[in-house]
Amino acid sequence: MSATPVVRVDDLVLSYGGEPVCAPVSFTIAAGRALALVGANGSGKSTVLRAVLGLLEPVSGSLQVLGRDVDEREELFRAQVSSVLDDDAYFPALTVAEHLLLTARGHGVRDPDDLTDELLEDFGLSDHADVLPVALSSGQRRRLLLAAGFARPRQLLVLDEPEQRLDQRMRAALAERLRAETDRGGAVLLATHDPELLESVAHRAVLVADDVSRRLSVADAARAIRAEPPR
Amino acid sequence: MTTSAVRTPSGRDIRRFTAATARTRGGAGIGELLGDVYYAFITSAIGIGMAVGVVNTMRDALPPSSAAPAAGPDLSLPGLAALTVLAFVGVLLSLAGRLGPVGVGGAEATWWLSLPVDRRGLLRPVAVRLPLVAGAVSAVLLVLIDLGLRAQSGETLDRVLRVGAVGGLGAAALVLLAGVGQSFGAVRRRIATAGNVLLGLVPVLALVGGYSGWRPGDLPTPAPVIVVVLAVVVVAAGLLLDRRLARIPARDLRDSGSVASQAVGAMVSLDSRELGRALTDGAAPTRRRRVARFSWVSSAATALVAADLAVLRRSPRHLVQVVAAACVPAVVVGVRQIAVPGVLAAAFVVSGYVAMVATAEGARRAEMSPVLDRLLPLAAARVRTLRMVVPGVVMLLWSIAAFAAVARLEGDLSSWLALAVLSTPVWAGAAVRSAYRPSPDWSGPLVSTAAGALPVGVGGVLARGPDTVVLGLVPTGIAIVLGFVTPHLLIAQVVTSAIALAVGAHITTPKSVHA
Repeated sequence: MSATPVVRVDDLVLSYGGEPVCAPVSFTIAAGRALALVGANGSGKSTVLRAVLGLLEPVSGSLQVLGRDVDEREELFRAQVSSVLDDDAYFPALTVAEHLLLTARGHGVRDPDDLTDELLEDFGLSDHADVLPVALSSGQRRRLLLAAGFARPRQLLVLDEPEQRLDQRMRAALAERLRAETDRGGAVLLATHDPELLESVAHRAVLVADDVSRRLSVADAARAIRAEPPR
Repeated sequence: MTTSAVRTPSGRDIRRFTAATARTRGGAGIGELLGDVYYAFITSAIGIGMAVGVVNTMRDALPPSSAAPAAGPDLSLPGLAALTVLAFVGVLLSLAGRLGPVGVGGAEATWWLSLPVDRRGLLRPVAVRLPLVAGAVSAVLLVLIDLGLRAQSGETLDRVLRVGAVGGLGAAALVLLAGVGQSFGAVRRRIATAGNVLLGLVPVLALVGGYSGWRPGDLPTPAPVIVVVLAVVVVAAGLLLDRRLARIPARDLRDSGSVASQAVGAMVSLDSRELGRALTDGAAPTRRRRVARFSWVSSAATALVAADLAVLRRSPRHLVQVVAAACVPAVVVGVRQIAVPGVLAAAFVVSGYVAMVATAEGARRAEMSPVLDRLLPLAAARVRTLRMVVPGVVMLLWSIAAFAAVARLEGDLSSWLALAVLSTPVWAGAAVRSAYRPSPDWSGPLVSTAAGALPVGVGGVLARGPDTVVLGLVPTGIAIVLGFVTPHLLIAQVVTSAIALAVGAHITTPKSVHA
C-alpha cells in the first residue's frame, strides 16, 4: 500500500455564490479504504464530492487526489477517478449495453464486451441489455449509472447516495461489490443516508454539517443517520 | 484498479462511435436525409424570399431623404441602419455569453466528459456550431438591413458580397472571441452583461446622434482590408479556441450545455416562455448582496405585487428591454423617411409588445411555479388581477414615452397622453394572458406554413397575448394612422381596455366531471 493517501482534504471550504456550504472539511482516504460522508439533506455532502471530482472550485483549503491537486481537465485524473453522481441523462438512441460499452471503450478496457456482460448480469440488467433508456424504470436507470462506474479502470470511486432508488437485494449486492473494491486496493468515497450500507462498506465516516464537520466512527455515523428525521 | 486497460481512443473516436451506434438505430436512410436537406433548403429559400420581398417593398415605399425634417432628434436611414447593426451586435454578444458559447449538456456531459480522452476532439463540433450559425444569420441579416434601410438604388453585387462577408465574419469572430474568453475563465454572465450594455446604449446613441446632428448620408462600402482583417481574426480566434478547448472546466461546459439544451428544447417546442427562462437563468447571479426587506408590504395583495416587482427589478435584461423598446417610437419619428403612420403603428405595436413581454416576467414564473400564489390567501382571479399591476405601471411609463414621440410628430400632446393612459390596461391584460397561456396542444390537425407543418392548436396558444394587443389597440391604431385623436376613439379605447382587463383576469374553470 502506498504511503500517499488516495484523497487528502485539509480544511476544505466550499461555497455557492460566496456563502459557505458547510463547515471546513478534512479527511484522508488510503488505498483499500472506504470513507462515508454523512449528514442531513443540504448539509453539503454532494458539494464535497463535486469538489473532489473537480466540478467545484474550493474557496480555501487543500484538496489532493493521488498526490496531485485536483484538475479534472487532465486526462490522467479522469482515467483514475470514477464517479456516480445524481445525473439522469442518457443517449436516447443507445441501448443499456451500448452505454456501458461506450464507457469501457472510452477508457481503453481490454475486453469491453466481456466486462459489459458481467456488469449487466451483476446489476440485474441482462434482460434489458438491448433496451433504450426511455423504456427503463427509475431504478433500472440508476443501476445503469452505477454499472458504468465499474465499467472502467479506477483507483478512486466516488458515489453520491448510491443506495437511491435501489431495492434491498441490489443494495446488498452493491455493498458486496464495494467491499470487493476496497479488498482489491481501490479507494471509495461515498455520501450516504443508508446505515446498513455505511456499516458494511465504510471504514470511517465524516459528518458534514453547517456548524462543524467532524470525523466519526462508523458506528457513531450509523447512529447519526438513524437519528435523522424521516426524509 | 480493477480492470486492465489498453490505449484509450481519441475524442473523435468517441464521437463517431456514439453517432454510428445511434445511426444504426435511427432508421433514417439517405432518402430521409435528402428529404430533410430539401425541406430545410425550401424553408430557408421561402424565408429569404419573403425577407427580400419586404426589403424591396421598403425600398420602393421609403420617401426620398429630402422630406421635411422632423422636430427634435433627427436621424438618417443610414444612421438608423448603423444603430440597428450595433443593436444586433449587442444581442449576439448577450446570447454568446448566455449560451457559453462552448457547452456540453445532457447525455454528452454525463457520458463523455468523464472519459480520459482528449476533449478537443470531443468539443470541436460544438465549438464551431455557434460561430457558424451566428455568421450565417448575420451575413443574411446585414445584407437585408443594408438593402432595405439604405434606400440607395444601384446596389452593386460587390457591395452586397462585402457587407455579407463583414456581417458573417464579424459575428463569427465575436462568438469565437467569447469562446476564447470562456476558455480563459471569463464569467459568462459578464459577457452577457456586456451585450446588454451595448444594447442599452443603442437608444441613447440614437437620441444623442439625433440631437447632435449626426446624419451620415450613406454608409461606406466595407473596404477589402476590413474583410481580410476580420477573416484573420476569425482564423486566429478559431485556432486559439481550438487549442484551449481542453482547458474549459467540465463545470463550465455543463452549465453552458444545460442552458443551450433548454433553449433548443424551448425553440423546438415553440415555447417562448421556456426560452426566456433558459436565457435568463443561465446568466443570473445565484446570490444577492442585499436582502429586500419589503417594508411596504402590508397585505397578501401587496406581497404579490412586491414579488413581481422584485423579479423585474433584478433582471437587467428585461429592464434594458423596456428602456430600449421605449426609445423605438422616438427613433422612428426621428427618421424622416420612415416617420409615416404605417411604420409608426407597426413600430408602436412591436416595441410595445417587446416591452410588455419584459414586464410579465413575474407572472410567467408564477405560472410555471406558483409557490407564492399558493402561500397567499388570494383567489385565482384576484391573483391574475394583481399580476397586472407591475405590467400596468411599467407599460404606462412606456406608453407616455411612446405617445410623446407620436405627439412630437402630430402635435396635440394632451390628447395623445390621454390615449397613452387609456390604452395601458390593454398591455397589462395581454401581459397576464400571455404569461398564463397553456402549453401548446400538438395533437390537433396540421396546417402547412412556410416554416413547416404546425398543429392548429399550437397557433391558437401562441396567439394568446398578441391577440389581446391587436384587438385591444384598434382605436389607438386608428388614431396613429389618422394622425389625430378624437373623443370617440378615446371612448372606444376605454371599452377595449376594459375588455382586455377582463380577458387578462379571466380564469378558465375546469368543467366538473360526473361519473
